Amino acid sequence: MKRAAFVGIGAVVGFVVALTLFPAAHGASDMSAYRQLDLFSDAFERVREDYVRPVDDSELIDDAINGMVSALDPHSSYMNAKEFADMQIQTKGEFGGLGIEVTQANGLIKVISPIDGTPAARAGIRTGDYIATIDGMSVQGLSLTDAINKLRGPQGTKVTITILRPGAKKPFDVTLTRAIVEVDAVKYHRDGDIGYIRIAAFNEKTADEVEDAVANLKKQIGPGLKGYIIDLRNNPGGLLDQAIQVSDDFLNSGEIVSTRGRHQDDTQRYDAKPGDIADGKPITVLINGGTASASEIVSGALQDHKRATILGMTSFGKGSVQTIIVLGDGRGALRLTTARYYTPSGRSIQAEGIVPDVAVAQGDEAQLASLGASEADLPGHLAGDGGAKKPQHIIKPPAGKKIDDFQLSYALDLMRGKVAVASGNKSANAD
Amino acid sequence: MKLLSLAGLGAAAGFCAAVAFTHIAQGDTGDIPPSSSYAQLDRFAEALTKVHDNYVTPEDDRTLVENAIDGMTSSLDPHSSYFSPTVFAEMQTTTQGQYGGVGLVIAVESGQVKVISPIDGTPASRAGIKAGDVIMAIDGVSAQGLKLDDVQSKLRGPQGTKVTITVAREGQKDTIDFHLVRADVAVEPVTWRTDGDVGYIKIPAFNDHTDDGVKKAVAGIKAKLGPRLKGYVLDLRNDGGGVLDAAIAVSDDFLDGGEIVSTRGRHPEDMQRYDAHPGDIADGKPILILTNGGTASASEIVAGALQDHRRAKVVGTVTFGKGSVQTIIPLNDGEDGALHLTTGRYYAPSGRSIQTVGIIPDYPVAAAGKKIDPADQEIESEAKLPHHLPAEGPGANATPPPPLQPPPGKTFDDFQLDYAVSLLDGTTLASTAPRPHG
Repeated sequence: MKRAAFVGIGAVVGFVVALTLFPAAHGASDMSAYRQLDLFSDAFERVREDYVRPVDDSELIDDAINGMVSALDPHSSYMNAKEFADMQIQTKGEFGGLGIEVTQANGLIKVISPIDGTPAARAGIRTGDYIATIDGMSVQGLSLTDAINKLRGPQGTKVTITILRPGAKKPFDVTLTRAIVEVDAVKYHRDGDIGYIRIAAFNEKTADEVEDAVANLKKQIGPGLKGYIIDLRNNPGGLLDQAIQVSDDFLNSGEIVSTRGRHQDDTQRYDAKPGDIADGKPITVLINGGTASASEIVSGALQDHKRATILGMTSFGKGSVQTIIVLGDGRGALRLTTARYYTPSGRSIQAEGIVPDVAVAQGDEAQLASLGASEADLPGHLAGDGGAKKPQHIIKPPAGKKIDDFQLSYALDLMRGKVAVASGNKSANAD
Repeated sequence: MKLLSLAGLGAAAGFCAAVAFTHIAQGDTGDIPPSSSYAQLDRFAEALTKVHDNYVTPEDDRTLVENAIDGMTSSLDPHSSYFSPTVFAEMQTTTQGQYGGVGLVIAVESGQVKVISPIDGTPASRAGIKAGDVIMAIDGVSAQGLKLDDVQSKLRGPQGTKVTITVAREGQKDTIDFHLVRADVAVEPVTWRTDGDVGYIKIPAFNDHTDDGVKKAVAGIKAKLGPRLKGYVLDLRNDGGGVLDAAIAVSDDFLDGGEIVSTRGRHPEDMQRYDAHPGDIADGKPILILTNGGTASASEIVAGALQDHRRAKVVGTVTFGKGSVQTIIPLNDGEDGALHLTTGRYYAPSGRSIQTVGIIPDYPVAAAGKKIDPADQEIESEAKLPHHLPAEGPGANATPPPPLQPPPGKTFDDFQLDYAVSLLDGTTLASTAPRPHG
């Protein structure tokens, strides 16, 4: 019985996602559910009889299931038979998309992160942007799946979206050309004696590509290699098994993550196997508010095992796992939150996020924070377990100096000993 | 089983919702659905079971089913929805007037609860809550992401009880707490004044007091202007509608006979036609109706009836286009809540449906002027709402002409109103303008 899981945020536009079969339901429900079904069939019957025009029964049921599931939390949703079939096609890469991770918030569609190298990223769509209309139609009242379907379409076709950007005075329109979004999950380069590895998403190839990156960086830099920076900023997640494999690459042993569902027997624990491809060299992991889900599993595992220093801003806080549950023959599928995951120390990052060891701001976060760009700000989010600490002091870019990527430059300086971080008294010393 | 009908758009907090006509729903719940709908119900049952068994936390089946009914009805069109038992119970007491409110007209935009306007003479306006304020919290509980229904029911409560509203106001750094005492909120009143020899009547909403207010306004204007009276301007701008009966009564005030409006549902026997009675309180004097994108529903019935009977000319911009009628259908006598379901469309006397098309003004005139809030003029329309009921019938493809802009270099308080007044008193403004549209 195979069971894959997603740990991506929201739904993915034009980007390959995981898909899995869930075992048949655990026996029949109790009587209460049947009584409630009576209520439902009464309402169903009234609508069939009295609505101003005849409506297809299956549409009514699709909308009912969607209403029931979407109200559970921001990551649960329903795909009808057609949408489910489309999703399966998409995993083969035959559909065009924009390359943004989106979720539903405040009745609008909210951008979790634009994926590097996609139409959305090229057009300057940003984390925290809201999509208010798609091709002139308001997204209010649309389900997340409907909205995503409107964003998608054949490669080369155009779509115009109206963006509400926190801090921007007026909504503005952006026209994008849909493309086959091939996510370059991993990129890397050397920065002097330090290897920089950018992981944009966790897809089927991510772990392999990370292993290649490390091997090549070792060759390029040679014995002077000081350490690695793994950049997980704006990485919205993806496949759980890839997050586990990437964590395992740098860990010798111990737990990586565990997932716990409703039932005792749903608990799964994943352990690291011996071997560290980075040979124990220092690692700094960069995170920010767009670091979510699978990325948070990697950050959490390396942080708990003290294998890496986590630098940046508190991550998104998506600590739940979704499973695709296929309904009987041609009946569509539920994408249902079935479990939470826990880092090796037993903490849930749900609604709390990974708190960086060294809190460093990029300098452009203020607006995002005020509008709420984290799981805890999503309506209907699962509550956290509580107890996450807040970063004590946030290092900010020095005023008047323009630095392209302050977090990265700070991480490089830190690894080279150009700045020191004293515990409890972290201060910027960019000179 | 009782059916109530609404012809309002959006909703007003602390303000009586509409009750229009009553008739018996045919076909009780004993009907046996055909086998295909059984298969569909079975599909729903499977989904419910899967959620019941597998969701990460145990969920109440009742809540799951209520959310399903809400999903099913809300997806039909922008005006259909489900009222949970709590909300439905509150609505009933509210319409019976035992409940109090604070007097705010609110809307939910992008998940934010916005004050459209405080109603004059209510606790909210006395306390200084302003249009554009964003309600952040009610009694300390965040209002972000709440549905309109939920916000309204939180604002309502027995008269004399207290409620604290936390608002964010543009230009202010900190939020402001308002401590209000709920009161019997007077419904938005009809107001009037004279402008030269022209009587001006503003109808902000259609409720049980509206017809009375219009009659008093006309009487007041007649008494004040006497034989100088040249005509009336009825301002229906930003009037989102309300009670169907009130719209019919106000139309009847100015019509001598003929059809005012008809409503048609799924079943032929649902057809209802409303006719005018003899008598015109304005004695046949010219009437101009001001409209804009916020003129909806009951307001469109009035504008459509008076326009089709050539009793009034319409000045302004195209109306919203809400041509559907909602009925409240209680489930299990209300113990399981109620459906608020679109069950009919209404038609103007000429047989046109205004659904998505709206009322096209005879004199298309743009909103402009010192007293006009540009934020009010964002073009709203039914056609922009997702899942709107499509247009049908004659005029479904009508396109409105571009509105007349104010002449450059001149300033106006309210160009549409000034234009209408000049049409009635024959001053120059109208004569410089293009001829009326078709």
